[in-house]
Amino acid sequence: MSAPVLSVRDLTVTLNLPGAAPRMLLDKVSLELGKGEVLGLVGESGSGKSLFCRTLVRLLPSRNMRITDGRILLGDEDLARASEAQMLDVRGGRIGMIFQNPTSHLDPVMTIGDQLTEGIRFHQGLDARAARKAAVAILHQIGFPEPERQFDAYPHEFSGGMRQRAMIGVALSCNPEILIADEPTTALDVTIQAQILQLLMDIRRERDLSIILITHDLGIVAQTCDCIAVMREGRLVEQGRKRDLLRAPAHPYTKALIGSHPSMPPPSTGQGAVAPKAIGTPADKPLLEVDDVNVRFAGTGSLFGGRSGAVHAVAGVSLKILPGETVGIVGESGSGKSTLARAILGLTPIASGNVVFDGTSLREDRAAFLGRLRRETAMVFQDPYNALNPRLSIGDMLTEVLKVQGRTPAADIPARVGELLDLVDLGREFAARRPRSMSGGQCQRAGIARALAVNPRLIIADESTAALDVTIQAQILDLFRVLKRKMNLTLLFIAHDLAIVRSLCDRVVVMHRGHIVEQGASAQVFEHPAEPYTQALIRAIPDIDPDKPLLPQAAREVA
Amino acid sequence: MHRYKFVLYRPIQFLPVLFGISVVTFVLVRFIPGDPARVLLGARATPTAIANIRRQYGLDEPMWLQYFYFLKNLLNGEMGKSILYKIDVLKLILTRIEPTLVLVLASVVLSVLIAVPMAALAARNHGRFADHAVRVISTAGIGFPPFWLGLMLIILFSVNLGLLPVSGYGETLGAKVAHLVLPSLTIALSLSTVLTRSLRAAMVEGLRSDVATAARARGMPERVVFWRHVVPNSMVPTINLLAVNIGWLIGGTVVIESVFAIPGIGQLLVRAIFSRDYMVVQGVAMVLACATVLINLIADIVTVAADPRVKL
Amino acid sequence: MSARTIGGKWMGWQGRLGRQPALMFGATILIAFVLIALLAPYVSPYDPILQNAEVRLQAPSWAHPFGTDNFGRDVLSRVIWGVRIDLQIAILGVIFPFIIGTLVGTVAGFFGGIVDTLFMRLVDIILAFPFLVLVLSIIAILGPGLGSFYIAMALVGWVSYARLIRAQVLVLKSSDYAVAAVSLGFSRTRIMFRHLLPNAIAGSVVFSMSDAVLVLLNGAAISYLGLGVQPPIAEWGIMVAEGQPFITTAWWITLFPGLSIVMLAFGFSMFGDALGDALGVKE
Repeated sequence: MSAPVLSVRDLTVTLNLPGAAPRMLLDKVSLELGKGEVLGLVGESGSGKSLFCRTLVRLLPSRNMRITDGRILLGDEDLARASEAQMLDVRGGRIGMIFQNPTSHLDPVMTIGDQLTEGIRFHQGLDARAARKAAVAILHQIGFPEPERQFDAYPHEFSGGMRQRAMIGVALSCNPEILIADEPTTALDVTIQAQILQLLMDIRRERDLSIILITHDLGIVAQTCDCIAVMREGRLVEQGRKRDLLRAPAHPYTKALIGSHPSMPPPSTGQGAVAPKAIGTPADKPLLEVDDVNVRFAGTGSLFGGRSGAVHAVAGVSLKILPGETVGIVGESGSGKSTLARAILGLTPIASGNVVFDGTSLREDRAAFLGRLRRETAMVFQDPYNALNPRLSIGDMLTEVLKVQGRTPAADIPARVGELLDLVDLGREFAARRPRSMSGGQCQRAGIARALAVNPRLIIADESTAALDVTIQAQILDLFRVLKRKMNLTLLFIAHDLAIVRSLCDRVVVMHRGHIVEQGASAQVFEHPAEPYTQALIRAIPDIDPDKPLLPQAAREVA
Repeated sequence: MHRYKFVLYRPIQFLPVLFGISVVTFVLVRFIPGDPARVLLGARATPTAIANIRRQYGLDEPMWLQYFYFLKNLLNGEMGKSILYKIDVLKLILTRIEPTLVLVLASVVLSVLIAVPMAALAARNHGRFADHAVRVISTAGIGFPPFWLGLMLIILFSVNLGLLPVSGYGETLGAKVAHLVLPSLTIALSLSTVLTRSLRAAMVEGLRSDVATAARARGMPERVVFWRHVVPNSMVPTINLLAVNIGWLIGGTVVIESVFAIPGIGQLLVRAIFSRDYMVVQGVAMVLACATVLINLIADIVTVAADPRVKL
Repeated sequence: MSARTIGGKWMGWQGRLGRQPALMFGATILIAFVLIALLAPYVSPYDPILQNAEVRLQAPSWAHPFGTDNFGRDVLSRVIWGVRIDLQIAILGVIFPFIIGTLVGTVAGFFGGIVDTLFMRLVDIILAFPFLVLVLSIIAILGPGLGSFYIAMALVGWVSYARLIRAQVLVLKSSDYAVAAVSLGFSRTRIMFRHLLPNAIAGSVVFSMSDAVLVLLNGAAISYLGLGVQPPIAEWGIMVAEGQPFITTAWWITLFPGLSIVMLAFGFSMFGDALGDALGVKE
């Protein structure tokens, strides 16, 4: 490694709230970033990784936070002690930043071009015409097909991936030496994520940039970075060269993090992958039958969308689920997977087709069909907070479900509530707690308890682990596995994360733009995808094994 | 310019509302107990006048037919005659519209001129003394009754300082302006409290927003962050708030015209209520409702201009 | 703020209310006014309507701290008795619209479709009229008086609440916990009143405080114009009107009733603001 461009020593940030004891948010963090190097900063939410990066450019989110110790050496300048005027030159000009959510970080009422030229004019002192020329060149470099025209477009006119490109462009416009990318692909679909990561690698090479890449996804780090630093609760628990650290993690937390990464299991060794169970022979009567279902949404002239005409959210989907089976539906955002789930449960009207639940048909007897669904199926949602009524305690919530379902005698309800909490590994004291006083993982467990309260035969889980940190995610997945075994549940598991589906489900259904493109046994589909779309989807997942490069172009480069 | 296409078809969307306005004003007057002809013409009306109005408004016909007569007359620009002033209501309103219009416009402009600097001062010093001061002043200011505030301003500027006329309206341009300063200041002060609060909140949020963070992260000084990014983004909610408050503003004008004895539509309405001049009450209510609808259309146009995302 | 960021530092809302000085301050003002209203006969030094030609237009003094008006009535006593009327205006003028608007908004938002369209059209039409102009027109029909004012308020004021609640219900209706309630077979009434309304109503409660200020100002303005409370009853708006001819000589007749309005309104505003902060409601 050449001499570091950035060297952080014992950086400490303290939060001083009036009337409270000072709290250390960053505790003596030290690390170095070499020239042209990519450093992956890994940690779960609340680990301080984003705060660390904002501290580097002295943009602390609150006035109550202070750098109380340490140095931030950029070259021979100590940013921890630099004046505010000096920092104006450093920010953007020497250290650029890109953020997770380009939609909220780009100014919605300013054209992309103006946001690019702003930095160019301020940092390089060019006049309007020269700045425009430079901006157009950058737009070209970051993959805008018509930079001259798109210069005058507003952020909302672009897709999420293009917005993230624009934000990278804005950061590049000031011509920095170091780029800090804070979860730059978390909000994007996997195929777009791969493209954005590729773009970052390309500009790193072209401009000899050093990059700090903040992420919660070890797969991304494994695929793109040279070094890894792991943060937890404001401390740097471990750092080192990528391969060393992934092969032989020293700290137990790093081990846990690597262990809970829902990576694709190696092909055919069978370990972890669920072998197709013998329960479902084709002769078995399916529990749920979806027959040529179509769902259309009337084109709403929404405030920001402005699309008109009916949208075909689900188009001619047919599938069968056998009792006791775990079926995964995967697809990117907008593929119609969640709409399908809601349509199956009778929450979204279907335009045509039929759904049959255990012999009761939606078309033949809608009332009976819905009645059985309400008593024998349940749903688990994505956002654990939004899924629970904030005004009800967990106990009240479960009691209400049991009362309405009317199958548990009133006297037995408290005991049953206790049982349900036990089932999902929540302590009984949670009966008195409200969602806001609970963590995301705890809320998700409560949501699962609510689903179990109806004694369901079928549970539909819609992205139920997507909002959770990886270690919590692994726990919830384990819970699903245990419950499936204990209660002989049939599970329809909807996710965008293929690795999760692969590790949990017997069968998988791949959806794209409302259609089913491929379905079959998990092992079969993931190891030998037949359709080009499935192949592309699988290839785009960053694997935690750095020797299994999934970015084809990046792979070429490394080699 | 397809984003402005709505200006063409929006009036069609207004039709149900305009229809509703006509129904409400029609119903209002027909609800008065007693012979409608007497109600409309007053106690001292001549038998011929009563016969005329019965014919013109079909007062002997069933209610729904009466409404059609009413609508027909309305479409001919016929709003009836004022008992008090003995002239057509529409003409009467037109002669009184100038001071009201000027008063409303001047109040809006003044209140924006007061609110923007106040809000900017507070937001840029968020949590410090200036911010608290602006917050307390604007919170307390909301509770100042405009009619009373007007009188206090009269005591200060007209009685004690002798700078401005106490009340009334002038003939010459200079006199008119002099007479409208205090009334528009009164309304503007009241309106600016609401505006300041909302703008301040929008600006505080804007300064904390991701857009501002991103601008700071590329080295923009705080001044640029504020005026180039935060302020334009706070304009849209403020325009909407102004549009929502336009009804309130016109209501305020009614009261303030009475306080300062300005011969505008508001004073006309109050006098008409006292003298049971129902044709005038009806006419004024309708004209002011239509004006509100029109102002909302203008607000829509400004919103579309200020925010490229908005499509109507 | 997202629920997640609140998550860690959450404490009981009762605890948070107690720690809000602004809330306590606002509540103190309001309670003080309620006490004055209840105790008016005992704390007012003179009869509020008794005329006394010997003490006409007297400036504030120890005998008459707020001075006297042109009929020789004690301004302080009139201000004190005025609390009864103006507090009543603010409370009754808010309660009826609140109840009507909440019901309409919940039903319209929850059921959607034709019910919603009809109600919202009605709201559009009423909102097309400048608020005070419509209220004045209704009072013109019903005849001047406080009763007419309350009826007019109930007929016109509910629209703001209906819109607020409807918007909230629409958002909450598509929240996952409402979808969960439907998928678990809960009845519509249960979902509407147990799951949606309690979560939707906070914004309206906070709004009702700033609405109380507007109602108070409008009620006083209507009385000032002579269309509300009728003389000789002591009410702040009327007192300002009665003092207006004398503002050059006897400013105290207009100053004190106006200040009382400002104080009462300030109490409502402070309480409402702090309540909004405490409940996490944004305007």
